[in-house]
Amino acid sequence: MKKYIYKIGFFAFFMAAVLSCQIQEFSDLNGPEVDAFGENLTRGDLQDLIGGILYSSRLRLGTYYDDCGVIGREYWRFSGSDPRFTTDLLGGDNSVLDNNTFYITGPWASRYSSVKNANLILGFLDGQDVSGQFNAAEVSATKGFLKTMIAYELLMNLNLTYDNGIRVDVADENNLGPFVTRTEALAAIRSLLAEGASDLNNGGGAFPFILSSGFAGFDTPGTFNQFNKGITARVAAYQGDNAGIITALAGSFFNFGGDLDTGVYYTFSEDQTDVPNPLFISVGGTSASQARVVQPSFITDAEAGDTRLSKTAQLAAPITLDDLTGDYIVNRYSGNEAPIPMIRNEELILLYAEANASSNPGDAVLAIDAIRAAAGLGAYTGPTDAASLIDEILNQRRYSLYAEGHRWIDMRRFGKLDELPLDRPEDDVWPQFPIPLTENQ
Amino acid sequence: MKQNNSYRRLLLLFLFVFPCLVFSQNTISGKVNSTSGETLPFVNVVEKGTSNGTTTDIDGNFRIEVASMPVTLVFSSLGFETIEQMVNSSSVTITMAESAQALAEVVVTGLATSIKRTNSANAVASITAEELVGTTPPPTLDGALYGKFPGAIVNANSGAPGGGISIKLRGVTSLQGNTQPLYIIDGVYVDNSSLPAGLNAVSAAAAGGNDAQFLQDNASNRIADINPDDIETLDILKGASAAAIYGSRAAAGVVIITTKRGRVGETKFRFNQSTGWTEALNLLGVRDYNEQRVRDSFGEDAVADFIAARGQGRLIDYEEEVYGRKGFLSITNFSMSGGDVNTKYYASLGHNNEDGIVNNTGYKKTSLRLNLDHKPKDFLKFSFSTNYVHSSSDRGFFNNDNSGTTIGIALTATRPWDQLFPDSNGVYPDHANNSSNPLQTRDLVRNNESVNRLIMGGTATLDVFKWDNSSLELILRGGLDFYGQQTRAIFPKELQFQKLSNGGLNGVSIQGDTQNKNYNLSAFLVHNFNTNNDINFRTQAGLTREFFDQNTQLITATGLVASETNSDQAANTGVNQTRFLQQDSGFFVQEEINFQDKFIATFGVRGDKSSNNGDANEIFYYPKGSLAVNLHELGFWSDSSKWNQLKLRVAYGESGNFPPRGGLFTSYTAASTDGILGISINNVRGDGNLESERQKELEFGADLGFFDGRLELSGTYYVKTIDNLILRAALEPSTGFATQIVNAGEMENKGIELGLNATPVMTDDFQWDVSVNWFKNQSEITRLDVEPFNIGAFGATLGTYRIEEGSSATQLVGIGPNPGANGFQVWGDAEPDFQMAMTNNLSYKSFDLSFLWQWKNGGDNVNLTALLTDLNGTSADYDKIDLDPAGQLGNGPYRLSQLGSSAEVFVEDASYLRLRELGLYYNLPERFLAGILGGNIDGVRVGFSGTNLINIFDYNSYDPEVSNFGGNTPFTGVEVTPFPSSKRYLFHFTVNF
Repeated sequence: MKKYIYKIGFFAFFMAAVLSCQIQEFSDLNGPEVDAFGENLTRGDLQDLIGGILYSSRLRLGTYYDDCGVIGREYWRFSGSDPRFTTDLLGGDNSVLDNNTFYITGPWASRYSSVKNANLILGFLDGQDVSGQFNAAEVSATKGFLKTMIAYELLMNLNLTYDNGIRVDVADENNLGPFVTRTEALAAIRSLLAEGASDLNNGGGAFPFILSSGFAGFDTPGTFNQFNKGITARVAAYQGDNAGIITALAGSFFNFGGDLDTGVYYTFSEDQTDVPNPLFISVGGTSASQARVVQPSFITDAEAGDTRLSKTAQLAAPITLDDLTGDYIVNRYSGNEAPIPMIRNEELILLYAEANASSNPGDAVLAIDAIRAAAGLGAYTGPTDAASLIDEILNQRRYSLYAEGHRWIDMRRFGKLDELPLDRPEDDVWPQFPIPLTENQ
Repeated sequence: MKQNNSYRRLLLLFLFVFPCLVFSQNTISGKVNSTSGETLPFVNVVEKGTSNGTTTDIDGNFRIEVASMPVTLVFSSLGFETIEQMVNSSSVTITMAESAQALAEVVVTGLATSIKRTNSANAVASITAEELVGTTPPPTLDGALYGKFPGAIVNANSGAPGGGISIKLRGVTSLQGNTQPLYIIDGVYVDNSSLPAGLNAVSAAAAGGNDAQFLQDNASNRIADINPDDIETLDILKGASAAAIYGSRAAAGVVIITTKRGRVGETKFRFNQSTGWTEALNLLGVRDYNEQRVRDSFGEDAVADFIAARGQGRLIDYEEEVYGRKGFLSITNFSMSGGDVNTKYYASLGHNNEDGIVNNTGYKKTSLRLNLDHKPKDFLKFSFSTNYVHSSSDRGFFNNDNSGTTIGIALTATRPWDQLFPDSNGVYPDHANNSSNPLQTRDLVRNNESVNRLIMGGTATLDVFKWDNSSLELILRGGLDFYGQQTRAIFPKELQFQKLSNGGLNGVSIQGDTQNKNYNLSAFLVHNFNTNNDINFRTQAGLTREFFDQNTQLITATGLVASETNSDQAANTGVNQTRFLQQDSGFFVQEEINFQDKFIATFGVRGDKSSNNGDANEIFYYPKGSLAVNLHELGFWSDSSKWNQLKLRVAYGESGNFPPRGGLFTSYTAASTDGILGISINNVRGDGNLESERQKELEFGADLGFFDGRLELSGTYYVKTIDNLILRAALEPSTGFATQIVNAGEMENKGIELGLNATPVMTDDFQWDVSVNWFKNQSEITRLDVEPFNIGAFGATLGTYRIEEGSSATQLVGIGPNPGANGFQVWGDAEPDFQMAMTNNLSYKSFDLSFLWQWKNGGDNVNLTALLTDLNGTSADYDKIDLDPAGQLGNGPYRLSQLGSSAEVFVEDASYLRLRELGLYYNLPERFLAGILGGNIDGVRVGFSGTNLINIFDYNSYDPEVSNFGGNTPFTGVEVTPFPSSKRYLFHFTVNF
C-alpha cells in the first residue's frame, strides 16, 4: 500500500516537473524571415536576395504575355480549364475584363512582389552600416541594378493598366503612394532609370553578386547600364520622345549590324525550384484544351517568304474552341528551357527606325531594310512619309517581336486598336485592364 | 456419482427454500456490485409489479420486505442495465453491468469528470455505438455523423475512397484558422491533418490565380484512420459554452471519443462480416447528339466521325466507362472482451477492403486495438488503450487542374465517338481533343496515401482518500499519437501528357513522407464534498501539456528513367520540406455545485499558453459558467403526472483558435533561376503580434420529458461571437503582398437546435422509436476592420465568397446585371436555411428496421463542372431548354452566354434529401442456436444495409456535397469535376459467442 503511494507520488512529482516547463518559442521553421536581414547583411545574403528578384521577375509572365498576345490578336489562348482566355480577353459576347480575375491580378501582383523584393534590399542597404561587407562602389552598383529592375517591373504593369495608371511609390507597404496617370508613371519610370544609370556609373567594375545566364554580356555595372539604356529607349518611345530614344540608344547595346538576338533574357529551366518557359506548348501537346493558336491574319497578312513565319507551326488538322478555329500554333519558344527576351537588339533597331521616321526617313528605311533583310525579304519600296513608315515599322514589329508582348501595346500607342481583327461579331479589343479590385481604387 | 450429486443439491435447495415457504413475511437482504467489483450505492430495488421498493445504501447493501417468495426484484440505476432477478433466498448478491445505452446518460463536463445528462447545462450530443454503426457501417468515422445530432454540417469533399470530410459544428467558427473539431480519443489528442500529395506539379491547379496550392489535392483527413467499430460513445461539445475547458484549441468544438472496454464476466467474442458493393450515386449522362448539334459544336470533321461511329455502334458513354464500376466492399470486425474484477480487456481487429467506383481506386485499412484496465488495489486503477492502424487509399486523379490532365477534366472534353481504348498491344491512343486520355490516366496513374499509425493512451486514477462526505481523486493521463504517412503519386512517362513529344515532363514521381508525433500529458485532482443537506461540491484542478511535431518532405521527381519511380532515377528532383512544431501548456480549475439535483451550477476557468501565439509565455484565460434547473425536482408535479422532466439551462463559455500555421511570420521562399538560388517574399504578410481568435458562446435551452420518457423534447438557442477574427485579408497587391494575416473583425453565429425523441409504440412484440432533429444557423460578419474582399473560389466571374461587414460569412457573390454598391450581386449563401434529420428504429419480434433521412434545405454551391462541360459542348443537358428566361437557348449555350456577364448560373442550390442509412436485420431466435457448438452461440444476426440509397436533389452535377478546396476551410461547396460520390449496399453477418 505504502509502496504504491510512493510510486504514484513520484510519478506525480515527475509530471509536475515536466508540466511547469516554459513554453519554447519557435521562429519560422520553413523559411527565412524578412526581419532577419535588417542587420548584418552579408554578401551571401545579398546574393540570395538578388537571386530572389531574378526568380520573382519571371512569375506569372505567361499570363502577362497571354494578355498582350490575345488582346493584341497575335494568337488565341485555348484552355479547357479556363474559359476566360477566349471570353473575357477577346470580349466575347457580353464579357468584359474583370478587375479581380487572374489575367490582371496574377501578373500585377507578381511584378509588385518583385518590386518589393528590390525595395526591401534597398531598405536593408540604407538601414544599416554595410561598409564591413561591401565597398561604396558595390553598394552603388547594387542600387543601380535594383532601380533598373524596379523601373522595368513597373513598366510591365503600366503596359497592362495604361490609362488607369499604376502606383509608383510603393517602398513603404503601410503608406503606399497614390495611383498616378500614365504620363506621370512613364516620367517616374524614366527618372528611376536615370537614377539607376547614374548609380551604375559609380558602380565600379563588378557587381557583388552573380546574375543568371540571361544577363550574359550585361553582368557588370557598365554593361548592365546598356540594358538600362535600352529600356530607357523603350520608355522614351512610349512617351513619344523621339529625341530621347536616340539619346538612350546611344548608351545602349543598339548595334545596327549586330546579332538581332543580342539582349537580356528571362531564363527558364525544368529544375524543380525553377520555373519552365510558360509560353511553350509543343505541337504534340497541343489540343483544343491546351493551345496557343495563331490568329489567322498573322499568316495571311505575311509577305511571301517571310522567314519569321517559322515562329508558328502548322497542325495536322485545325482545332476549335469557343467558335474560334485555327490550324497554326505559336512556335516562338522551342522548349521548356527556351529564354524569353526582356529586350533585344531587333527591338532597338526598330526603335531607331521609329525615332527617325519623321525627322530622318532615310535612316528609318535603312533600319527597316536591315530587319527585312534578316527576315529574307526585299528592301522596303513603299512611301516614306512618316505615317507610311510608322505603318511599316508596326508591321515589322508585328513579325519581328511576335509573341514577345508588343503588338497590343504598339497598336495602342499609335491609336490603331480599331485596326486589329475581330474574330467573332461580338468581340471587343480592350485598350487596358482595370486596376485590380484589391487596390481599393 | 452424477445422480448422487444432484440429489444433494436438491436437498440443499430445499433446506434453503423451506423456511421461506413457511413464513408469510420475508426479508431479503443483499448487496449490489458493479461488474468492475465496486459496490453500488443508490440502486433502486423494487418488487416487480408493486410499489414496494427501497434503495441500496452507501455500501451497496439493501433490505426489502416482500410478501412471499419467490419474488422478482427489479434493480435499476442510472448508467447500468436494469436487472430483473427471481429471488427465493433471503440473501442475494447482484452484479449490475454498465449499459452502453446508459453511457449516453452521462455527459462530459470537465477534463476528468462527467455529469448525468439530466443535470447538464449544455446541449451536448452523445452518440452510442448503436447509433454510430448499428444501422450500417460507415466507410470512415466522420462519415457516420450525418444527421445523428443537431448542429453539425457534415460535408464530404468528394467520393474518393478513404475519406475527406469536413465537420462544422454550429456554423463557421473561423475563416482562416482551424474549422475542424478537436478529436480526443480516450484522453489522447489525435491529429486530423489533411496532407496533400503534391499533385499540383502535374495538375497545375493553383496556376489559375488561386494561391490555395495544396488545397486542391483532394487529400483525406486522418480521423478516417479510427475504426468506427471500436467506439463506445462519442460526445460532441459543439461550442465554447461546453468546450471552454479545452481552452485554446476548442473553438471549433471537441469530439470526445470513448472506445469499448472489457467487462467482468466470461470472455465474449464478436465476429462481424459485411460484404457488398458501391456504385456511383448519380451520373450525369451523355448529351443527346445529332448531326446538326455535332456540326454546330465541333465542326464538319466531327460530323463524319460521329456518323461513322454511330454506324458501327461505337458511340461510347465514357462517363459510364470511368465511373460505372461496382466496387467490392468487405468490412470485417472481430473483437474479444472480458476480464475479472482486477483486470479487464478488450481486443479487436478490423479490416476494411473497399474498391472505389473507378478502376484502380480503393481503400484498405487494418486496425488493431487492445484496451486494458487493471486495478491492483481498491484505490488505484490503471487503464490503457493501444491502437495500431495501417491504411492505404488509392484516390485517383480528380478535381481542378489547369493542364487538362485530371480524369474529371479530361472527361468534360470527351465525346462519345472519340476512340480512347488501348489497342491489342495495350497502347493507348492520344486523346484528339484533350491533353490527356482519361482511360489511360485511370489505368496508369497511381495516387496512393498510406499510413502507419499508433495511438496509445494511459490513465492512472488514485483515490487519495474516501471519507463519508468527501473524497479526493488524483488522475494522471498521458497519450501519444504517432504516425508516418506516405503519399505516392506516380505519373508514368507513357501517359499522353507526360510524353516529351507532347511537351510533357517524361514521367513524374511525387513522394511525400510525413512524420507526425503528438503527445499530451495531464494531471488532475478531483475533490467531492457532500454536505448534510445534500449539496454536492465537486472541485477539480489540473495541468495539461501538449506537444505537436509534424515534418513533411515532398520529393517531386520528373523525367523518369524507364519505368523507375525512385526519386533518384529522374532527370530533375525537387524537394520541399515543411515542419511544424507547437507546444501548449495549460491549467484549469472548475467547481460544480449540485443542490439536490434541483440546481446544478458549474463555473471554471482555463489558462493556456502556446508557442503558436505571438508571445509564447503569455497566458490566455477562458472562463465558463453554467446553470441547470430541474423544475421537475422541485415538487410541482405529482409522481403520477405525465411530466417527467422540465429542465431549464443556460451556459456561457469562451475558447480560442490559434492563428494559422506560419501566420506569425513574414518570410521568404527559396527558389532558383538558372541554377542561382534566390529568396523571394511570400505573398502572405504575417504578423508577429497576432492573437488567437476568441469565441464567446452563450446558450439557453430547455429539456422536457413526458410519459415516462417516451416523449422527450429539447430546444437550444445559442449566440456565439468570434472576436479577434483572423483574416487573410487582401492587401493592396502593390505592397508586394497579396494578403495579410490580421486580427480584423468579429463574426457572429446564431442558431436554434431542436430535438425530439419518442417511442410512439411499445408492445411486447413491436417497438417504434423515432427521433427527429432540426437546426438552423446564421452567420454574420459583424465587424470588419479591413476592406471587404473576395475569397475561396475562382473570382467574381464564376461566383465567389465575399467577406463583408453585415453579410453572412458564406455569402456567394458575383458579377451580375444588378450589382450592389460594392459592384457585385449576391447570388447565394453556402449556409443552408436549415437541416433536418429523422431516424426511425422499428423492431418487430426478431426483426429490426432502421433508417435515417437527412434533409438539407438551401445552401448554395459554385458549380464549375457544368461550365467545363458546356465549354466542350458535352453537357448532358446542353440542348435542353429550361434555364433561358426567353426560352430560346439550350442550357449549355445559355450558361455560356452568361459567362462574363453574370455569375448567376454558376451558383446553384445545393439542397438535398437523402436516405442516408437503411438497415434491416434479423436476429436468429435462440431455439435455432441452442444445439450449435454446445449452445455456446449467444446470438446471430443477419441483415442488409445501405448508405445514400435514395438521393433527391436538383443540383446539376454528381452530388451537391463537394469541396474542391478540401475540408479545413469554411469555403467548401466549390465544385470542379470531383471524384463522384457513391452509394453503398452491404450484407451483414454477425455472431456473438
